[in-house]
Amino acid sequence: MFLYVVRRIVLAIPVLLGILFATFALARLIPGDPCHATLGEKATAQACDAFIIRYGLDQPIPVQFGIYLRDVTKGNLGDSLRFGQPVTKLIAQRLPVTIELAFTALIFSTIIGMVMGIISAYWRNSPVDVITMIIANLGVSVPIFVLGLLLAYTFAVTLKGTPFALPPSGRLTAGINVPSLAEAWGLTSLSGAPRVMLDFISQMYIINGLLTLNWVLVGDAIKHLILPTLALGTIPLSVTARMTRSSLLEVLGLDYMRTARAKGLNERLIIFRHALRNAMLPVSTVIGLSLGGLLSGAVLTETIFGFSGVGKTLFDAISSRDYTVVQAFTLVIAVVFVTINLIVDVSYAYLDPRIRYD
Amino acid sequence: MSVATTPIDKMQLASPNPRSLWQNALRYIFRQRSAIVGMIILGILILIALLAPVLATHDPIKTLIGVEDVKKREPPCIHILGCPADKPQHFFGTDGNIRDLYSRVLYGARLSLIVGIFSVAFAIVIGAFFGAIAGYLGGWTDNVIMRVMDVLLAFPSLILAIAIVTVLGPGLSNTLFAIGIVSIPGYARITRASVLSIKELDYVTADRALGVPAMRILFYHILPNALTPLVVQATLGIAGAILSAAALSFLGLGAQPPTPEWGAMIGQERNQVFTAPHLIFFPGVALILTVLGFNLLGDGLRDALDPRFNR
Repeated sequence: MFLYVVRRIVLAIPVLLGILFATFALARLIPGDPCHATLGEKATAQACDAFIIRYGLDQPIPVQFGIYLRDVTKGNLGDSLRFGQPVTKLIAQRLPVTIELAFTALIFSTIIGMVMGIISAYWRNSPVDVITMIIANLGVSVPIFVLGLLLAYTFAVTLKGTPFALPPSGRLTAGINVPSLAEAWGLTSLSGAPRVMLDFISQMYIINGLLTLNWVLVGDAIKHLILPTLALGTIPLSVTARMTRSSLLEVLGLDYMRTARAKGLNERLIIFRHALRNAMLPVSTVIGLSLGGLLSGAVLTETIFGFSGVGKTLFDAISSRDYTVVQAFTLVIAVVFVTINLIVDVSYAYLDPRIRYD
Repeated sequence: MSVATTPIDKMQLASPNPRSLWQNALRYIFRQRSAIVGMIILGILILIALLAPVLATHDPIKTLIGVEDVKKREPPCIHILGCPADKPQHFFGTDGNIRDLYSRVLYGARLSLIVGIFSVAFAIVIGAFFGAIAGYLGGWTDNVIMRVMDVLLAFPSLILAIAIVTVLGPGLSNTLFAIGIVSIPGYARITRASVLSIKELDYVTADRALGVPAMRILFYHILPNALTPLVVQATLGIAGAILSAAALSFLGLGAQPPTPEWGAMIGQERNQVFTAPHLIFFPGVALILTVLGFNLLGDGLRDALDPRFNR
């Protein structure tokens, strides 16, 4: 197990280098000269000269890549043209928003998807099964942005005035202020990495509210998260439901299930204790794979619902030609994705001892 | 006596016309409800795409300013459903530039089909080529090719497509290219896996013993037998490609106005969703049905072609 984990981490290194080279190339391939693309059209000749020397643009490509690597390892991802602040700061503000959204969507899609799959498999070929599978088939085919906009319309316009009305944009109702954890706990003198961590967690409003027992904040944050979660979670939900159903049906046909029934065990015990455990493996693969979709989908979901997370920032940066942000955020998303995949792979090996190497 | 002969008779009846893999597959496909529904949806869609000029009531690009007495973003007006006869008829209403939405949605079928099919075709040709070479040659060739694919897979697909379009500049053809690139690793991996298992078969060994050139063995004798999983993946891939293309257009990176592309149509009017939901609804439903059609057909194909699913 330990060897497997080490091997898997070593294998991720060339991929990480590849990602770094790809994001490096991204900035070099952007049409126009890199100075004006990065510093804006109004950059003076002096500023450009300084820029060229700073990033070694007069040097060969391998040297430029070396400078980029050095900067990245030092945590220097450049400055945002639009926000006039270091990109790393921007990431620390925006990444927790996306993490919160993606996790809520993941939890929603996993729980509801599995329940749908189990119901479908248990009552296979019944009307319940047919309806559930029609929903699941439709679910994988609905674009996030169509679903998101139609949900926004339904819950903000059609249901306006009813108890089911939900806010169609933003993360909080205007007027609710969010004290950072450092403020709430009187730790404002804290600095360095612990402070960065605290501020990072503060941006996840539900966790922030739970930690400071601020129930108004928790309630409002959840209310604003429902629609984005539905929009983002529907595709993974459908995939999970279909996978749970087919995997469970496959397991239910195996010999040991017949043995369990012959022993006279009751059906619920058979499903939950015996069948589900083995059926869960392919399902967990699918859940792991859907994380990439959640990160992609976050761009669309955040844009529609006005969430200032990584996805919306990336989109805004493209619209305003803030290439440093595009480059840095692409890098961060890819690194997050690779890390998640690594964790998922290692956890499979733990869940299924048959999975080893290759 | 008669008891003993019955099974033999049955065997004799079953054997004279052995069916090929594809004949078998077709039989399975036609047995599956979902695949049939998928084919019907896609059939209608292809008809709509081909007959768009006949079915459309208006020009999809020209605005109706000064031509008809309509305002922008008017809801649908259908005479037989009670819309006053003196108002001009627009089945799906009009959009923000006073164009007939129904005609635009019809023409949008062409673009979605073209983008979906072409980007997947591009990805398959390149992906299968590199995957086949990697699988057949093995060694460092395999390693280099598959590590490059790993890097491509290390980006969430839409994010990578967005990055590529940022470099190339927005536009439908660049979108098509970006989605193609992003899809390559999937096809490369599938082809490589198939080639790896097929190249160990006896007929390939026989080929080698006969001195058939390696590339001829690979592309004429191995690859045709590795096509089945690719066909399934491609059908499902078209659905994904259409979704991605629509997403990029929605973000303003794909098809540019006034092109009648569904994603772009929704993206341009997304801020009007609260006042003119029909501008989201109709192109949205068209997108959903198209993607659903390819997904259903792909699922059906997989069940029919994958021997593990043959029940």
